[in-house]
Amino acid sequence: MLIENNLVLTRSDPSGMGGTQLIYRVKNYGLTAVNRPQEEISQIHWEVEIIKFKDNTISSFEVCHTTELAKNTLKFYTDKSLNEFIEKSFQYFEELDSLEKMLPQDP
Amino acid sequence: MANVVGSSVCRTAVDEGKPEDWVPGGEKQKIIDPMKMFHELPRELQFITGSEAARESMRRANIDIAIAYPITPQSESMQQAGYLYDEGYIKEYYRAEEEIGTFSAISGASRAGVRSLTATSGPGLMRGMEAISSWPGARTPIIMLNMCRVINTPLAIQPDNIEMSFMLNTGILMLHAENQQDFYDFPLAAICASEQVDVTLPAVVSVDGFFCTHARGPVKVTPEEYKLPPRDGWRSAVPAMDNENPPARISRDAPIQKSNFISYHMHSSWQQEVFAAVERSAKYFRKYLGGLTEIVNPGAEDFIVASGCAVSQAREAVRQEGEQGRKVGLIKLKTIRPFPTEELYEAVKGAKRILIPEFNQAGWLHKEVCSVLYGRTKGVIKNGPRVYGGMTMPTEMILEWLEEFRKEVK
Repeated sequence: MLIENNLVLTRSDPSGMGGTQLIYRVKNYGLTAVNRPQEEISQIHWEVEIIKFKDNTISSFEVCHTTELAKNTLKFYTDKSLNEFIEKSFQYFEELDSLEKMLPQDP
Repeated sequence: MANVVGSSVCRTAVDEGKPEDWVPGGEKQKIIDPMKMFHELPRELQFITGSEAARESMRRANIDIAIAYPITPQSESMQQAGYLYDEGYIKEYYRAEEEIGTFSAISGASRAGVRSLTATSGPGLMRGMEAISSWPGARTPIIMLNMCRVINTPLAIQPDNIEMSFMLNTGILMLHAENQQDFYDFPLAAICASEQVDVTLPAVVSVDGFFCTHARGPVKVTPEEYKLPPRDGWRSAVPAMDNENPPARISRDAPIQKSNFISYHMHSSWQQEVFAAVERSAKYFRKYLGGLTEIVNPGAEDFIVASGCAVSQAREAVRQEGEQGRKVGLIKLKTIRPFPTEELYEAVKGAKRILIPEFNQAGWLHKEVCSVLYGRTKGVIKNGPRVYGGMTMPTEMILEWLEEFRKEVK
C-alpha cells in the first residue's frame, strides 16, 4: 500500500482523463503522483512531479523542476519504488525548508 | 472447472489439470449476511483498477454462472472473471458467440434460478438490447456490469455513457458507479436488491469505461473468505424454470400474443407490476448503500447533480470552491432506476442554481432531473457542461460553468 504520511489529498485526476492523483506535502514542498488509464494493467504507472506550494491551500502549487530530487517528470512502475522515492523526498523537503529559512529574507 | 461437486457438466477439475484434492475457492468461503458484509466486516484498503475491483466484487458474490462476449473496455473485467473461474469462485463461465446470444443465454440461466452475471460495453449492449429489454418482464434477476463507451459514429472506444439512456425505460434497475470503490460495492448491493421477492428484476451497474476500469484507485474490500448467500431460485416473483424439462411454449401461449383486449390488459398490468417493483427496490438500496444519493454541503444555493465519473470531477470542483470560501452542494445519484426523486427534491428545494454535468451528448440526466423537479423548484436547472466521444471534463470546466451560471442567475 502507498505511504499515507503527509498525504493531504486523494482526488480524481483534475485533468479529467480518469485516474487518481495523490498530493503529498511537507512544509512548502511536496509531490503529486498520478496514475492514468492504460490499455493493459501492466502499463499502469505513476507519474510524479515535485511541487512547490504557493500558499496554505492544497490546490495552489506549481511544478518545480529545480530541486536535486528531479529535473523532470518521473515515472515509477511499482508502488514499492514510488514509496521509496516518497520516503526519500520527505527528508529532502524537511532539509530544503531548513536551508531556505537560512537564506536572507526579503524585507 | 469448478464442477467437482454437484455439477452435471462432464469436464472435471482433473480434466483441467487440477490436482485430485483441489477444492474450488468458492467452497472455502463462508456465507455471511449481506448487511454484515456491507456494514460490519473489516475492510482492507487496496489500490486497484476498476476491472480488478469488479473481480473482487465477483469473488464475494457467489456467482453460479457468467456468460459474456468480449468488447472494449469490458474485456479486461471478464478476463479477470476467467481467473475467478479457474480459481473456483465462479461455478460456470463461457464466452458466448456474440451479444444477442450472450444475453439470451444468461436469461435462460437466470430463469433456471441461479445467480447469473454478464458484462458488456456500449455497442455490445446495443446489439443485445432486444434480449436485455425482455429481462425485466421475464423477472430474471441478472446482474450485468456495463463499462460505458461510445456507441455512435464516428467509432471510438472512449468513455461516454449515452447507452444508459437506452435502458431508462426497460424496467431494469440501474446504478451508476463513480469510481473503483463503487464498482466493488454496487454489484454486491444490486445482486441482493434484485433477488428480493418483491423485486425480482435484473440490475445493471454502469461505470464510465477506461477512466475507472483501466485506472487504479483506492478500494476498501471485505475479507475474501466471506461471500453472499446463494440465490434461492424459489424465492422470487415467478417460479424458477426446470431447464432440463422446459415448457415447450412459454410466452407464446394464447392469449398472451393474440391481438385482443385480454392480451392488452395482461401486458399492461404485467408492465405496471415491473415498474412498481423498480420502485420497491429503493428500500433495499437505501439499506445496502446507505441511501440512493450522497449529498455534500446540504443547504447550498448552488448545486451540482451528477452520476458516474462526473461526480468525481464535480467533487473536486466543490472542494476548490470551498477553498475560495464558496459553498457549493453536490448530489451524487447512486441509483438511476429507481430514480431518487424525493431525495433530490429535498436536497435542492432551496437551491437557486442547479448544474448538471454529463459524459454524453443526449443530456439524459438533465432530462430526468427536469422531469421530476418540474413545477417543484424555483431553482434554475442548467444543462452542462456536457462532453462526449471520449472528451475529458477537467475540473476547470465545471468551475467556469459555475462562474458563468452565477452571472446569468443572480
